[in-house]
Amino acid sequence: MKDRSINVLSPAGYRQRATAFSAIAILLVAASLFMGFDPAMLFTEFHYVTDLFVSMSPPNLSLLWADKTIGMAVLETVSMAFLGTLIGGVLAMLLAFLAAENTMPSRPVRIGVRIFLSVDRVIPPLFIILIFVAAVGLGPFAGMLTLVVGTVGTFGQLFAEIIENTESAPADAIYSVGATRWQVIRYVILPQVLPSFIANFFYAFDLNIRVAIGLGIFGGGGIGFQLFQAMRVLHYRDALALILLTMLLILASEKLSDLLRSRLLSRGPLK
Amino acid sequence: MIEVCNISKSLPGGRKVLDGISFTVKKGEFVGILGASGAGKTLTLRCLNGLLRPDAGSVIVEDQDGSRWDLCNIAKSRLRRLRRRIGIVFQGYHLVQRLTALDNVLLGRLGQMSTLRSLFYGFTDREREEALSALNKLNIGNVAGMRVSRLSGGEMQRVAIARAIFQSPGLLLADEPLSNLDPSNAKIIMKMIRPLADEMPVIGVFHQPEMTAKYCTRVIAIKQGRVIYDGDPRLTNRQLIDIYGEELEQIENAPHPPVEKPTIVAQNPNEHERDFF
Amino acid sequence: MSMKEISFSLHPLRRYGRVLLVAAGILLLAEGAAWVCGARWGLLFKGIASSTDLLVQLSSPDWSAFADLVQPALNSVFIAIVGTVAGTVISLVFALLAASNLTPPWIRQPVRALLGLERALPEIVILLFLVAAFGLGPFAGVLALAIGSVGMLGKLIADAIEELDPVSIEAIQAVGATRVQVVVFGVIQPIVPSIISFALFRFEYSIRLSVVLGAVGAGGIGLELYRSFVQLDYGRATASLIVTLLLVFLSERLSGFLRKRIKEGGRFQ
Repeated sequence: MKDRSINVLSPAGYRQRATAFSAIAILLVAASLFMGFDPAMLFTEFHYVTDLFVSMSPPNLSLLWADKTIGMAVLETVSMAFLGTLIGGVLAMLLAFLAAENTMPSRPVRIGVRIFLSVDRVIPPLFIILIFVAAVGLGPFAGMLTLVVGTVGTFGQLFAEIIENTESAPADAIYSVGATRWQVIRYVILPQVLPSFIANFFYAFDLNIRVAIGLGIFGGGGIGFQLFQAMRVLHYRDALALILLTMLLILASEKLSDLLRSRLLSRGPLK
Repeated sequence: MIEVCNISKSLPGGRKVLDGISFTVKKGEFVGILGASGAGKTLTLRCLNGLLRPDAGSVIVEDQDGSRWDLCNIAKSRLRRLRRRIGIVFQGYHLVQRLTALDNVLLGRLGQMSTLRSLFYGFTDREREEALSALNKLNIGNVAGMRVSRLSGGEMQRVAIARAIFQSPGLLLADEPLSNLDPSNAKIIMKMIRPLADEMPVIGVFHQPEMTAKYCTRVIAIKQGRVIYDGDPRLTNRQLIDIYGEELEQIENAPHPPVEKPTIVAQNPNEHERDFF
Repeated sequence: MSMKEISFSLHPLRRYGRVLLVAAGILLLAEGAAWVCGARWGLLFKGIASSTDLLVQLSSPDWSAFADLVQPALNSVFIAIVGTVAGTVISLVFALLAASNLTPPWIRQPVRALLGLERALPEIVILLFLVAAFGLGPFAGVLALAIGSVGMLGKLIADAIEELDPVSIEAIQAVGATRVQVVVFGVIQPIVPSIISFALFRFEYSIRLSVVLGAVGAGGIGLELYRSFVQLDYGRATASLIVTLLLVFLSERLSGFLRKRIKEGGRFQ
C-alpha cells in the first residue's frame, strides 16, 4: 500500500471496516445503556465543572510552603518510588536470570519462576496494597512494598526476555574454553543486557512515581494521600495547589531520569 | 596429540552425517579438513572439543599431566578441564561485541581461573600483558582498547585467534577461519596460524584448497561423513573434482549460488608450487 | 596503545572505582529513602507472620459471590471500553492539531505542550476531580479514562501522522480534494490500523486502571474488591480478585491477539 498512488481500500476492505465499526458502535451504545453512562450529561451538567473550577481558583499555593507536611509528603512519594524501583528492579533482575533458558539450566525452576512472574504481573496493585496495609499498617512503607511487588511483575518477564535474546554464539565460545556458567553470565550475558536493564530502571522509576501517587489514596501516604484528603474535606483551593505540585513532580522526575539515563548510557562501558 | 576413532553421528531424522571418521593428528602437523558443504567438516570439528557428542566412536585427547581421556564418554567437570587445553576459532568469530578486544582475549583464560576471581575481573597485570602481546603478535595491538563491535572482519578474526593462542592450548581447532575474509587477509591469517603447529596440533576446516595446499602439512577430505582422502595437501584436479564434484554441479544448476563457493584455482598444478614456503 | 596505558586503564580498581562510587551513592540514597518511608523490615516479617490467618481466610473464596460480581465486572469492562474509544476519538482531534505536516507551529506547539501536561496528570487525580464535579459513578470513570488517554494516544497518533509519506497526501490534494477530504482519505485512512493498535494497547492499560479507579469512585469490580476487603468480607474479596485477574488476563490476551493480527496486516488492512 505504500506506493505513490492514492490510498484506496478495496470494496471488500471497506465492507470489512464498515462491519467492524458498526459492531464497535453497537457495543458502545449497549455498554453505555448497561452501566447508565449518559454522554449528554457532559452538556447538561457541565456547569458543575465550571463551578468546581471557580471554587478551586485561585490555587492556595502558599499551602505548599506554609504546611510542612506537604514537603514531607513529596519526599515520601519520591522515596517510595525510588526504593520500590531499586528493590523491585533488583529482584526482577535476579528472578529474570532464574527464568531465562540460557542462564538457568533447571526446567522446573524456570517454569516455577515464570508462573510466579506472570501471576504477579496481573495482580492489581490495589489488592497488594490492601494486604500490605493489613500487614505493616498505613503509610509509605506499605506503598513502597506494593511498588516492589508491582515492579517485579512488570519488569521480571521483560528482563527474562532480554536475557534470552542475547547472542548465544559468544557464550558457546566461552563455554568451549572451559568456562563455568557463572563466568559466561558475567562476561557474555551481563555486558549485553546491562544497558537495557538500566534504561528500564529509569522507565520503572517514572512509572512508579505515578503509581505511588495513586497508592497514597489507599493508605500509601505521600502526596496522593494529601490530595485525597483535601478533596474529601472540600478544600478545593488546597487541592488545586496539590494537583499542580503533583504535575510538577511528575514532569521533574521524568526530565531528571531522562537526563541521567542519557548521560549514563551515552558514554563509558554502557554505551 | 588427538586421536579420532571411528566417530559417527545421525540426525534425529535418521540421516547419517558422520559415518566412521578416524584420524590422528600429532604436534607439528597443520591439518586442513576439506569437503563440500554439508559433508560433515564442521560437525567433525565440533566433536573434537565436545560441543557435539557423537553417537559412537571416541575422541582421545591428552590432559596436561599426560593422562588420556575420551571426550565422547566423560564427566562434565572433566570435559571443562580438558576444554581449557583445546583452543577453538569459530567461523563467525563468536566474540562478545560489547567488550574490548583485550577483554575478549582475556576471556580465553576463564577456564583456568577460579570463578570467584574471574567474576571481579581479577586478571593480573601479567595476564593482561600476555593478552596484549598475543594481540601484538597478530599486529592488532593498536586496537586492544577498542570495542570489538567497531573492528573490521579481519581484525575480529585476529582477536578470535589471539583468544585461542592466549588460552595456551595443547590443540588448536579452527572452523573456517577464512570464510569472512578477503584473499589478502586470508593469506595473512594462514601465515599466522602456520607456525602455531610447531607447538601443538592444529586442525582447521577450510573451503579454499589453494590455501590448504600452500600452508597445511596435510589434508583430510570428507565426503558424506567419510574420510575419502588423507595425505599430501597438494591435490590434483581430479581429486578436487572427487571432493567437490556434487557441489560444483549444484553451483552450476542453482539459481542462487551458495556463498561458500569453493575457489578452486589449481588449474595449473605448478601454480601453487611457485611460492610454497 | 602502550602496555602501560592499557594496564592502567584496565586495572580492576580503576575499572570498578566509579561503579563502587555510584553504588555507594545509591545505597546512601536508599538508606535515606527507607528512613523517609519509615521502613521497618522487622515489622514486615512480623506482619507477614501475623497476617497468615488473613491469607488463610483469603485463600477460600466465597463461590456464591460470583453471581453478584458479574454486573460490577461488566461495568469495569464497559468503563474501560467506552473510555478508551472516547479517548481515541478525542486523541485523534488533538493529534491532527499536533502534527507538524498538517498544522502551523503556532497551533501545534501549544497543543503538544498541552498533551505533555496531560501525561503528567495521573488518571486518579483526574478522577478525583471529576467525582467532585459529577458525583460517584461510571460517568466520572469513563471521562477520566478518556481524558487520561489523550496525552499518550494523542502523541502516538500525531507521531504516526508525521511519519506519513507526504506524497500520498499530495496525491489527494492534486485531484482537487477539499481539506476535510484530504484529512479523511489522505491522513486518517492510512493510519487506521496504527490507531486501532494504539487503542488496543491503551485498552490493556485502561482495564487495569478501571480497577483502581473503581475503588476511588467509578464503581465496578474495583469497588467490590476494595469494599469487601475493608468490610473484612475476605471470601468475597478473593472472589473479586479472581474475577479481576480473569478480566486483566483475558483483555490482555484479546488485545494482544488483535494487535498481532493487525500487525500481520490481515484484518484491518
